[in-house]
Amino acid sequence: MADSDEEYIGEISEDEGESNIPRGSRGETVFRSKRRKHRGGAEWEVSRTWETLVEGADGTISSTVEGLLEAGKRKRLLRDTTPLQRGIIRHLILVLDLSQSMAEKDLRPTRYLLALRYAQEFVREFFEQNPISQLGVLGLRDGLAIRVSDMSGNPTEHISAIQSLRDQDPKGLPSLQNGLEMARGALFHTPSHGTREILVIFGSLLSSDPGDIHQTITTLINDKIRVGIVGLAAQVAICRELCDKTNGGDDTAYGVALNEQHFRDLVMNVTTPPATYSQKQTTSSLLMMGFPSRTVEAYPSLCACHSTPSRGGYLCSRCNSKVCGLPAECPSCGLTLILSTHLARSYHHLFPLMNWVEVPWQRASDSAVCFACGLPFPPVPPKEQWQVTEGQTKGMSVSSRYECTVCNNHFCIDCDLFAHEVVHNCPGCQSGVLTHTKPESQEVLDSMNISA
Amino acid sequence: MNTIDATEHYETSAHDRPPSLLTIIVDTNPHAWALLNPTLPLSTAIANILVFLNAHLACNYANEVAVVASHTHKATWLYPVEPTSTNNNNSKDTDGDITMHSQAPSPHPPSSTSINKYRPFRIVEEQVSSTLHTLMSSTTPDSLAATTSTMMAGALTLALSHINRRTIAWNEAHGGDVANPNEPHNPTSSSTSSSATNARGTPESTLQSRILILSVSSSTGSAHQYIPIMNAIFACQRLHIPIDVCKLSGDAVFLQQASDATRGVYMALEEPRGLLQYLMMGFLPDQRSRRHLVLPTRVDVDFRAACFCHRRVVDVGFVCSICLSIFCEPLGDGVCLTCGSRLDMSDYGAKPAVVARKKKKKKVKANGPSATGTPTSTPTPGP
Repeated sequence: MADSDEEYIGEISEDEGESNIPRGSRGETVFRSKRRKHRGGAEWEVSRTWETLVEGADGTISSTVEGLLEAGKRKRLLRDTTPLQRGIIRHLILVLDLSQSMAEKDLRPTRYLLALRYAQEFVREFFEQNPISQLGVLGLRDGLAIRVSDMSGNPTEHISAIQSLRDQDPKGLPSLQNGLEMARGALFHTPSHGTREILVIFGSLLSSDPGDIHQTITTLINDKIRVGIVGLAAQVAICRELCDKTNGGDDTAYGVALNEQHFRDLVMNVTTPPATYSQKQTTSSLLMMGFPSRTVEAYPSLCACHSTPSRGGYLCSRCNSKVCGLPAECPSCGLTLILSTHLARSYHHLFPLMNWVEVPWQRASDSAVCFACGLPFPPVPPKEQWQVTEGQTKGMSVSSRYECTVCNNHFCIDCDLFAHEVVHNCPGCQSGVLTHTKPESQEVLDSMNISA
Repeated sequence: MNTIDATEHYETSAHDRPPSLLTIIVDTNPHAWALLNPTLPLSTAIANILVFLNAHLACNYANEVAVVASHTHKATWLYPVEPTSTNNNNSKDTDGDITMHSQAPSPHPPSSTSINKYRPFRIVEEQVSSTLHTLMSSTTPDSLAATTSTMMAGALTLALSHINRRTIAWNEAHGGDVANPNEPHNPTSSSTSSSATNARGTPESTLQSRILILSVSSSTGSAHQYIPIMNAIFACQRLHIPIDVCKLSGDAVFLQQASDATRGVYMALEEPRGLLQYLMMGFLPDQRSRRHLVLPTRVDVDFRAACFCHRRVVDVGFVCSICLSIFCEPLGDGVCLTCGSRLDMSDYGAKPAVVARKKKKKKVKANGPSATGTPTSTPTPGP
């Protein structure tokens, strides 16, 4: 999770466009930031990844480009599948910089509009990934922290609140300390079994604070609040220190956006639930929850949460009050009401799909097409050519085949990506089709499914 | 470019409605079909499904179909069939001739009616019936005795993989969502954001896909498939693929949730003999037409969860805050049965302070109005 390098497709920053790189090499510069180790640094300016490209036998670079693309996809996939203890029930405050530095146009259309758009996408994706979490939005403007929307579990409220910011203009200076203090106040009452996080989208290079921000950092550490920052301009020392200290010495929570795509990736990375560091940080507890069924009445009646008349709704399984949307807390008896599908949505974080392994040419003849989608694989070349193609790019399969270690079926890169990022199921394992080599793995599969 | 060589008016993606891909998952569980046999034999059902597929193909010349069988021990493709190593041929999708070759020595030579049949219809019919025949003949009594459930999760995953592949291919062919159209090879941008583009981009501009499940089995056997099925449902939800469910028999709890979550059509057929009519009337309209229709969805969806400890269906449960396992009663020793972490019961069993106060207030109130109420009520009968 920590390593989230991305490729930059088609995005060429302005200084590079003006420099005297010949036209033909534009495509190659695309891959330049592959090797970057540290985010937020400035070393991207001197990396020359186009020099690493090797011409193919036919004098073109298309094979290398394709290989790099595939390797890039694969790299993003290869995350750690160790089942970590993750904080599924999250409490997060999103702090948006609404100061005058957000009016800059280095990110198109402006930093302000782009940040608001990504913030809305973030809210949607956050609740997609963390359905039983709570979110609140704050803004930094004119040296003050302003409340944009309160802590709640309803994405539409936040999105409409962020939407209404579009009509206003960014102005004044930001105060990081005020924002952090207000966020700390909002997170103060959250229960101990959930995580407490702050995500700041910070476009300025300064923070005009009323007091000592280091004291705020200390109180944040005491309250076990983690802070992540996405910077838009350049690295700011206090931001790095803040992320470093509140994340237990891990400063990967601080990232500076290089371009629009990178900005989006940095923000979206936060939607994945964070790993829990120690046993002590959260006290786990057994939560009582209600699973109400939906009812539709013949005549509209008032719902207990908003007092608006509606026909459809969910009846609290303990006190039978009607709420109009889920997840919610019953307004009359306080029981957490949730759909079992909300819980199930988080299961893929808890039971992740194993990474698939590359298939060397030796075993490639087992399959001619992708098991899931039927895409034909490249044919197996004669044995003497095996060595030539091998060792091109790390992480990528020479035979374009990827194998599930449980069911031993071969898949193409697109299905690999799709299975790991979208479905979180292995088509082969779920279809019960096992190749002849492992007759005993059916039992393994069954026991896995039952334990899951 | 197009304006120069005057091919502008051939551009289909701009004006024509995009084609739709219909994936049918047929539950071919022989146990359930044996029970249904008096009212609707499998052969009749397949014939009805073929008519329905043809109707879908006839709606738009570019429409596509795919059929997956969810059998007792495996999920497999009925159409399109991948070329296996035995009849190894390349390019099965574009070239229908190859399937014709493999079909040629079949026991039933094509009659004169099938020769005159619209070609896409014939290819689908022949492939589906032949692959289904192979599937049924490969089913051994042993494998049937082993299980009575069906591989619905696998079938859904296969269907989704196929939809993903077709969407990528369609986008590449039409340049619809590819971020950088100047670059011919751009599989990354189309597939990395395949989830995102479908979510963000207008649904009009991409291939419209939907899944129809013809369910006959009960879901009791598929309890261990709960998480994979749910994963598939959420994937459909993210990709805006509706799951339509046509239930012929059995009890499909998860599938109710599937169609509800993805805004698909859910229909439980009271009269399975009218399958074709139900299919044609309820399931033929695509997403675009559905916006103008009142859909036969189910209103009372069973959302209750099954507990992990006794598989009881509960409406108030206890959830482990670490692994989100659901239990039907507070755990005796406070250790989660799934993840083994120690849980404390926060404030379960503590009596809320509100109850006592309310009683007091009620008593006071009850005394108040009754004291004043009796004198006022007595005069009324007086006059």
